[in-house]
Amino acid sequence: MLGVGQKFPPFSMQATVSLEKGKTFRTITEEDYPDKWKVYFFWPKDFTFVCPTEIAAFGKMNKDFSDRDAQVLGGSTDSEFVHLAWRQSHPDLKELPFPMLADIKRELCAALGILDPQEGVAQRATFVVDPHNLIRFVAVNDLSVGRNPQEVLRVLDALQTDELCPCNWHKGEDVLKPVV
Amino acid sequence: MTYSELVDSIPEYAKDLKLNLGNVMDQSELTPQQAWGTAVACSLAARNRQLYRAVVAEAGARLSPQALFGARAAAAVMGMNNIFYRFRHFSSNQNYGAIPARLRMQSIRTHGTDPADFELWCLAVSAVNGCQVCVDSHEQAVREKGLSEETVMAAIRIAATIHALAAVVGADEAAGATA
Repeated sequence: MLGVGQKFPPFSMQATVSLEKGKTFRTITEEDYPDKWKVYFFWPKDFTFVCPTEIAAFGKMNKDFSDRDAQVLGGSTDSEFVHLAWRQSHPDLKELPFPMLADIKRELCAALGILDPQEGVAQRATFVVDPHNLIRFVAVNDLSVGRNPQEVLRVLDALQTDELCPCNWHKGEDVLKPVV
Repeated sequence: MTYSELVDSIPEYAKDLKLNLGNVMDQSELTPQQAWGTAVACSLAARNRQLYRAVVAEAGARLSPQALFGARAAAAVMGMNNIFYRFRHFSSNQNYGAIPARLRMQSIRTHGTDPADFELWCLAVSAVNGCQVCVDSHEQAVREKGLSEETVMAAIRIAATIHALAAVVGADEAAGATA
């Protein structure tokens, strides 16, 4: 499994972004959302029990994430049509404000190293990725244990409290050069 | 109150400040963006609403929206950093330097305007707020980004004049007078 400090793999896949006819699907790559942090979270299968509560919880907190310049992206190995059907049928998912990635070829999940060896689907993995596409946080839960999006937000906040100000300079040291 | 009304209303006892304001906003060592961004940032830091609003209104014609945003962001974030880092400098207990700040300061990265000008505004605000270590480090950063000592001095003249005016503007108005 990829870890902190490694580059998030390049990808290009369909995503379910809306229930509005004509705007339901869009191709998304790792280059979309430049200058933004990304919170990728994967789940094993659509239409199962643990997943909707988590996904809806991320949805409710979407504004907290976007306030922190972070784009939330959910995903599983289901197709974009399965995502669409699920969102249409589940009341908690109808208004979901972020895309659901459809990693049907399993390429991204394989590159991330999060395919469950038994089930062949994505494990419940969360990646926080910075604007340079570096992985800054990884967490994986066993298939039946849900995530706490509040905790992910806490981590994102902590990652964004880099002391970027030259005031942190100590006499005799080189002047701090913040990563711009 | 417009900027020119404000200038006209500066009382006789502060005439030096009134005349200095005209001069410092016109210094050849500063670009208009540097000068007016410094005035915006310092008037926000100096906490006089009337002065700040008049300066912002006047700066509107000379600053892009992004530069205006950056100047205000500099004052906002430095208002916090000037206190935090000054504390670390005040205290002889070196251990505070090793405890993480845990304060967001993302605007230093995301302000979206000229980096050298942004540092200049941070320096000017640090001078207004009185943080020595901040002044020292931002002065180094500004010159590393290519600005001259003359430019720095010119910005500090604005900081000093604006700070002084912040104490004076509106101070003598009769109770109940509107801004």
